[in-house]
Amino acid sequence: MIKVSPHCNGGRFRGGLNFATMSRKWLIDNQGLFFMAPAMILFVVFVLYPIFYIFGASLYDWDGINEAAYVGVQNYVEMFTDDRSFALAIRNSLYWTFLTIFPQMFLGFALASILTSGIPFQNIFRIIFFMPAIISPVVLGIIWQRIYAPFGGLLADIGFETGARFLVQPYLSDPKIAIFSTIFVNVWQWTGFSMLMYVAGLQGLPEEVLSAAEVDGASIRQRVQHIIWPMLRHVHLTLILLGVIGTLQTFALVYMLTKGGPNHATEMLPTYIFLKAFPLQSMGYASAVAVVLLVIALSASVFQVRVLGSRFTIGN
Amino acid sequence: MKAKKSRHPRSPRRLGKTLAFVFVTILALVWLVPIIMMLVVSLMPPDQRAPRFGGMLISGVSLKNYVTVFEDAEIVQHFINSMAVTVPSVFLVVAISSLAAFALARLKFFARDIWFYLLIMTLMLPIPTLVVPIFQINKALGLNDKYLGLILPYTALGVPFAIVILRSFFAGFLKEIEEAAILDGCTPFGIYWRIMMPVSWPAIAVVIIWQFMTSWNEFILALVTMNTNQVKPLTLVPLVYSGQFMMRPGPMFAILTLITLPVIVVYYLMQRFMVSGLTSGAVRG
Repeated sequence: MIKVSPHCNGGRFRGGLNFATMSRKWLIDNQGLFFMAPAMILFVVFVLYPIFYIFGASLYDWDGINEAAYVGVQNYVEMFTDDRSFALAIRNSLYWTFLTIFPQMFLGFALASILTSGIPFQNIFRIIFFMPAIISPVVLGIIWQRIYAPFGGLLADIGFETGARFLVQPYLSDPKIAIFSTIFVNVWQWTGFSMLMYVAGLQGLPEEVLSAAEVDGASIRQRVQHIIWPMLRHVHLTLILLGVIGTLQTFALVYMLTKGGPNHATEMLPTYIFLKAFPLQSMGYASAVAVVLLVIALSASVFQVRVLGSRFTIGN
Repeated sequence: MKAKKSRHPRSPRRLGKTLAFVFVTILALVWLVPIIMMLVVSLMPPDQRAPRFGGMLISGVSLKNYVTVFEDAEIVQHFINSMAVTVPSVFLVVAISSLAAFALARLKFFARDIWFYLLIMTLMLPIPTLVVPIFQINKALGLNDKYLGLILPYTALGVPFAIVILRSFFAGFLKEIEEAAILDGCTPFGIYWRIMMPVSWPAIAVVIIWQFMTSWNEFILALVTMNTNQVKPLTLVPLVYSGQFMMRPGPMFAILTLITLPVIVVYYLMQRFMVSGLTSGAVRG
């Protein structure tokens, strides 16, 4: 084993041509592997192995304790043909994707436009709108339960007092609207993040183009529609990418607000995996759902990165 | 654009700006309602019955709920648990990801790009897909109910994002500095430790704040890994005491406030770095 010495001039290769020196030279040329090793080991143990694991476990009927029974693709057949909760989780993921990403993009863009225009206290406003993004969804879930509560809740009481009776709704207990109430909280939490990304994007736009358009007499609407919005393409794409990934790992907020209920009406794939694996002790089936979630997440992300050219927040 | 506007204060513009300011102020107040509510309910006097408006109207201000929490709940123990998981994971992520990011940005080695893409793939992976296997790995290693059972997965899952940030930062260094150091006889580790790390604080700060917040707020892995109340981190505390404080929103919201305070403090102290970190990234995109 070669010693990568921290001294300067350490590990310098000297002549000779036998197997030992060859492999020694290979190691020196590939010193980067030593730098990578801790990251690689963690990746293999906690990411790569788990991925193979769920593929394997998805083929078994297994409660996590007793002997597992091989059932082939039975779990997948059941999931796609005879599992209403799974179908609801897929439906809710679609709702969640579209009703979170687009509202928070438009709202975030509007806020960013105002908060880069030089109004007073714009930094404080930015901090205020971003604040929900750093608070645990566990905390937010409990707070919003009190806002939505039908008796003594904030919205219901405002409705009773002012006569705006439409505010009195069974927000979380009506299967028809519970998912939308949950999505609303998520939009509230993440709009500030979109805003911050658009602030960064707007500050990076080339000044010449914007002032040229202004000199040419383009109206504000025209400038936004034809110049600013298209030029922020990379921000839109990053937000969509992060939004899809965020949707697919939504757990804490739903778990705290509704636990996926009433009657699975707000079930998401992660809450369903948890429900199957732990309270219901069905590790094999949960792994099969996890495989489906994994395939959806990876294909959606690869599609966006390869075809649309999306990128992660920072760097390339 | 900003400067230009203020140089030509035409009156319709000024009117537009005033309207925008009023609009944003109202929206910001509405936006803050849930957070204000958290504070207000936590200050509710314990003898107040049936709070109305979700507890936004309280009959007085009292710190009694916080006293109750410190007396009846092991909040200090849970705080220590959260720190015992978060601090080592932040430290490990900085150490491990900076080494890897340095290699990926500055060194050539076998299968470099493949390793990079594999690591990046982790960013696209929903954590809930890994819950069952990580639970089983921890069980096999005897790490359930142990801090290490969360530290290791949090580190593994945090490293890829940190690598993305640090790699782009390291890649921006001038080649000449590195070549000069090599001529002076410096090893790659010397370049990493003596030249790159000391000047990389802006990027490292982003990594620290991000890893701190994700580890502090992480929920699903903590939920399945920590089953004994003694070792549960703060994020599980609302569940632990939801039965005990079911009919008493005051202490519960005091707990929520106590959970949230550290994150807000860390964010406030480091937000300058956070915004500039995101800015440089989104612009370079």
